[in-house]
Amino acid sequence: MSQNDPMLESYIFEETQLTDQLENLILQNENSNNYSSEVINEIFRIMHTIKGSSAMMLFNNISTLAHSVEDLFYFIREQKPKDVDFSSLSDLILESVDFIKVELQKIKSGDNADGICDEIIEENKNFLLKLKGENAYKAVIFFEDDCEMENLRAYSVVKNFDELANEIYYIPEDIIEDDDTGKIIKEHGFQLFVKINKSYEEIEKILNQTILLKEFTLTHLDSYEEFEQARKQNKPTLTENPIEKFQIEKKENVRIENIPTAQNIISVNVHKLDQLMDLVGEMVIAEAMVLQNPDLNGLKLDNFENSASQLHKVTSELQDLVMSIRMVPISNTFQKMHRIVRDMSKQLNKEVQLKLIGEDTEVDKNVIEHISDPLMHLVRNSIDHGIELPAERENNGKNKIGVVTIEAKNSGNDVTVSVEDDGQGLNKEKILKKAKKNGILKKSPEEMTDKEIYNLVFMPGFSTNENVTEFSGRGVGMDVVVKNIEAIGGSVSISSVEGKGSTTTIKIPLTLAIIDGMNIKVGDTYFTIPLTVIRESFRLIEMDSIININGNEMVMVRGECYPIIRIHEFYGLDTKITDFKDGIFIMIEKDEKYICIFVDELLGQQEVVVKSIPNYIKNIGTIRAITGCTLLGDGNISLILDAGWLISTVNISN
Amino acid sequence: MANIIANEVLEEEDTQKDNFLTFTLDSEVYGIEIKYVMEIIGMQSISKVPDLPEYVKGIINLRGKIIPVMDVRIKFNKEPKEYNDRTSTIIVEMNDIFVGLIIDSVSEVIIIPESEIVAPPEFSVNKNKYICGIGKTGEGVILLVNCNKLLNEEETNALDNAGDKLL
Amino acid sequence: MAKVLIIDDASFIRCTLKAMLERNGYEVAGEAVDGIDGILKYKQCSPDIVTMDISMPKMNGLDSLKEIIKYDPNAKIIMLSAMGQELMVKNAVINGAKTFIVKPFKEEMLMKTLTKVLSV
Repeated sequence: MSQNDPMLESYIFEETQLTDQLENLILQNENSNNYSSEVINEIFRIMHTIKGSSAMMLFNNISTLAHSVEDLFYFIREQKPKDVDFSSLSDLILESVDFIKVELQKIKSGDNADGICDEIIEENKNFLLKLKGENAYKAVIFFEDDCEMENLRAYSVVKNFDELANEIYYIPEDIIEDDDTGKIIKEHGFQLFVKINKSYEEIEKILNQTILLKEFTLTHLDSYEEFEQARKQNKPTLTENPIEKFQIEKKENVRIENIPTAQNIISVNVHKLDQLMDLVGEMVIAEAMVLQNPDLNGLKLDNFENSASQLHKVTSELQDLVMSIRMVPISNTFQKMHRIVRDMSKQLNKEVQLKLIGEDTEVDKNVIEHISDPLMHLVRNSIDHGIELPAERENNGKNKIGVVTIEAKNSGNDVTVSVEDDGQGLNKEKILKKAKKNGILKKSPEEMTDKEIYNLVFMPGFSTNENVTEFSGRGVGMDVVVKNIEAIGGSVSISSVEGKGSTTTIKIPLTLAIIDGMNIKVGDTYFTIPLTVIRESFRLIEMDSIININGNEMVMVRGECYPIIRIHEFYGLDTKITDFKDGIFIMIEKDEKYICIFVDELLGQQEVVVKSIPNYIKNIGTIRAITGCTLLGDGNISLILDAGWLISTVNISN
Repeated sequence: MANIIANEVLEEEDTQKDNFLTFTLDSEVYGIEIKYVMEIIGMQSISKVPDLPEYVKGIINLRGKIIPVMDVRIKFNKEPKEYNDRTSTIIVEMNDIFVGLIIDSVSEVIIIPESEIVAPPEFSVNKNKYICGIGKTGEGVILLVNCNKLLNEEETNALDNAGDKLL
Repeated sequence: MAKVLIIDDASFIRCTLKAMLERNGYEVAGEAVDGIDGILKYKQCSPDIVTMDISMPKMNGLDSLKEIIKYDPNAKIIMLSAMGQELMVKNAVINGAKTFIVKPFKEEMLMKTLTKVLSV
């Protein structure tokens, strides 16, 4: 429901922008250990807007929190206090930012924004109080015996503080109205709580002026807990709340401001983009259905063919354009990494610098969503397990500041994102030991290449609880990263030099929706193989090329042996073509592993729109080696083969 | 504002609440809540998909949308029948899961008030676990199908089947 | 040597107070017999501190207090009340009386009070 509420969507958009802006502001400025007045004003402005908008949308927790930050910055802006601890202040604001972000997520998913931020608000208030130089005290006052009407005397004391204190509470409360309170005061003393910009000595002095005072105890309160308790039992003091040093604007100005932009950019509803994308996909199919229509077989239609060519040209351009609209630069995701690096290095006492290369590489919007989490995981890994502590680095002749480099680049049909660190690198022995211990070592170590050993870290079950820190791998490890990447048709690989560092590379297809495929047929079933995995296809000339080793069929091509998968056998499909000489071999490759699959016939190349497997079938979960389906020109449905899956079913031993 | 919308939706569902689309398998009449029914179509060419339980015949192309189809006879452990021109496919949707149900023939939409629905008998020789109730009408009884179970029970079944299928 | 103005309609009280004050080093700058007289005498002798009885003819201590405070916001006035005059005392304090003593009182208590009030 909430998706369709334009006001809510607008709110979410605006507040997300603002919190991102604020976070970036903090991250950029905290190193300078001082906030310029422009920055202070901007922070104030942002919090003011968030306060107002959230109040209007009835998200009161966010509004109140923003208010407490706004108060803080109003004071800083107006009073320009010296000696502000900007480091702690930054932490404080980021805490608030995090809370708001979480609440925005909830709102986005249609859940209740029911987070409790009382603690953060208290912290903000306390920070402000410390800036103001305000202190909290508790005094317990006893009057002279027999002085009578102690409650009235207590009242005088309160009056003495009234002008000076920011807040006063006292117990018993109704000293004027209720004369019995005199007895209470006589027995237990008069409890006075004040928040005041005065020192202990100054308070003592004032208390000593109490007439007919017998004795008193005065305590400087560190926390405002007792104060809050007193407050809860009290209503505000006799007079109007004492003078606040400044007034906050009372007007609730909730006009949603436009975020100024440098270029001509408009924000577009993603759903509309998705619809546009779908329609273009339908158009590609419809175009194929016209141009490859069986009715045209054998006809020579020159004019028609010219027009068809023109049509194809236009639809291709339209397709490219629509894809490019969905492309967003990866910089947004990259910027999030700054925060992670900052938080983690602080927590782990490591010094880490983040380098970003290729920020303006553009990626499909859908892909960005799938890359964000894995990327964060990799960065965390680098800092947690890769980069050494500063002392250790210096001992090893390295610069004590570790460097994590994230690079994105376009390579044809894929986007490559790599995370590189100059840390301690992967230790082969440790990995092998761990793999063995967790029972995932399938081959003997001597037979494994370095790459295969490193790739062990991607296996499910590799990470155990011992290795789990707060940040990386809650016992699930890299395999979750890999799964998420593979879910969008990508792949992950890792390389490392011990002592020097490691690099993890994520490769993802440029767009999710349209790929170049080779259509094939096996029996009555159509399949499509992504062109990117096909190395070559061939017919068998001589049966001599076929070898059988332990029941595994293999084919020789130019002196090399390749395992064969008979697709009809693999899937149990009925077909007349079972003799190798009657069908076609297609050599496919993934991660430098090659196999040949045997199919009935090649139907031809086609640009296909990838549609996901229907949920119902996904839920059944028994399908092997299929990543999606597509509609062919003649209306038939073709299943898109997962080369990696197929290849992994074959035990490759050289 | 949100409250108003929610109420409207509820009302809509309410007005459809007692409506069932009935269909036949052999001599038995079954009913399924109309709110899950998207449309009813004749038989279309089915593209076979490997690695699926016997009752999932494959997938069809419905105006560009790919929808899996299930032979309900097989699902209910009956003898499969050859498809003829009366055989229909009921396209149902629940929680973004679309399935086409292949059945002998479609009957009509009838209203069965809650008062006329009883629970299926506990102990029965041919216990069909997809039936969640029995509706009584003037002309006889209607076996009410639990759409949720029909569309989602696969997970438990899958674990059984998977063991068989994978080598 | 601090100057005190005694405002009380009972001569016995004025006498006792005078003796107490002079014993303790205070100068009795004047004596008034009712509220109105009190205001007059205050303006005349500008005392450092005033002892004010509550119930007096012509004008009571509370009203006198108010007038004196109007004239001199810094006036230091100590109310002398009898038991059962709580309400008046409350009002007095709210209206500016520095403090109060309840009769009968001990000399020590009065002295302590005077010292405190004057020291502020």
